Amino acid sequence: MRRRQALALLAVVGILIASYLTLYKVGVIGVLSCSVGSCETVNTSKWSVLLGVPIAAWGLVAYVTLLVLALVGGTEAREESVTIARLLVALAGWSVLFSAWLTYLELFVIHAICIWCVTSALLWVVILAVCIADLRALSRAPLR
Amino acid sequence: MANKGVDGGRGRRSGVVSKQRGNSAQRFYVVLALVAVAGAILIVRAARTPKFTPVVTTAPVTPAQAEGYLLGNPNAPVQVMEFADFECPACGNFSVITEPDVRARIVNTGLASYRFFDFPLPMHKNTMAASNAAACAADQGKFWEMHDALFRNQPEWNGEATSEPKKIFLGYVKTLGLDTDAWEKCFDEQKHQNRILANQAEGSRRQVQSTPTFVIGTRMIPGALNYDQFKAYVDSASKESRTAPVAHTDSIAKSPSK
Repeated sequence: MRRRQALALLAVVGILIASYLTLYKVGVIGVLSCSVGSCETVNTSKWSVLLGVPIAAWGLVAYVTLLVLALVGGTEAREESVTIARLLVALAGWSVLFSAWLTYLELFVIHAICIWCVTSALLWVVILAVCIADLRALSRAPLR
Repeated sequence: MANKGVDGGRGRRSGVVSKQRGNSAQRFYVVLALVAVAGAILIVRAARTPKFTPVVTTAPVTPAQAEGYLLGNPNAPVQVMEFADFECPACGNFSVITEPDVRARIVNTGLASYRFFDFPLPMHKNTMAASNAAACAADQGKFWEMHDALFRNQPEWNGEATSEPKKIFLGYVKTLGLDTDAWEKCFDEQKHQNRILANQAEGSRRQVQSTPTFVIGTRMIPGALNYDQFKAYVDSASKESRTAPVAHTDSIAKSPSK
């Protein structure tokens, strides 16, 4: 219950970051607040769009999926659902790999760092750790 | 009987536990909602308040008239002005994604004329050079071609990418088939600096605070618009121009009247 609640909270933080970057990408926000790094360089590079959709919007979809899974998995009826725990690990694992690839592009291809993107990548690492802890706890729990 | 009593006790306990869990879950949802609302407020504030101060320009030595760069019929029923910075990503997105439709369906069809005004922002290192590059292309009748090339290729010449944008601009000059020597002379002399500053001053006079900002008929609309929004403002201005021919264009728009 607590772990799923933590995941929901982390998902909301992620949704806020992804929304901020998506709104910038579509022009609603004019300037990114970016005290460290070069957010504009990263978010205007050709790598900031995948299949015609901004990367930030893909992130938004992933965080919203996480929020839905965490909230559904946090209900009394499903709090011990191993299926949801596995789905959470799969989503977080995929997102960590994808974020790692994006961070690689920032460092070695675009040669600029977007602090919001790095924050999101770190957030996924924390989320994956919580998801793995959740799955392990449920796998150890006696069957009812 | 005894069993029943024990069961009853369990039932009460599980009822109490369930109620406590329910209260805990409710508290959690409240915290979650508060975090979401607080974050949303911060994002809305970021969208509304630009992070830069409005540009204050000193009057050029020989004041130039702020005429912008015209596209379309100057006598069209609706006059559109765009105040934009060549290095601003939102302006680039508008130029690449929305502007082709605006030109094809609104300007070329005679619904509106379109004037581009430079509004270079101080935080963008290469934007003034880009404005000069476009103004010098205008001398050879290719302002809009250079305008499109600059916006389309923003990541390769912006202040983050290079400190020598001229080398990259020269590539566009060649691609567009301009007279390179004439363009280079114009660019190096900053021949059109006063014209650019006049365009910028026009934006400051109109209290433009972010880029892009559009003036469509009587309304001033900050922020990049999508095509449907743009068309709605043009239709609204067109309706107004038929009923009230005298237009003043200094008001900030809330939304287009339907």
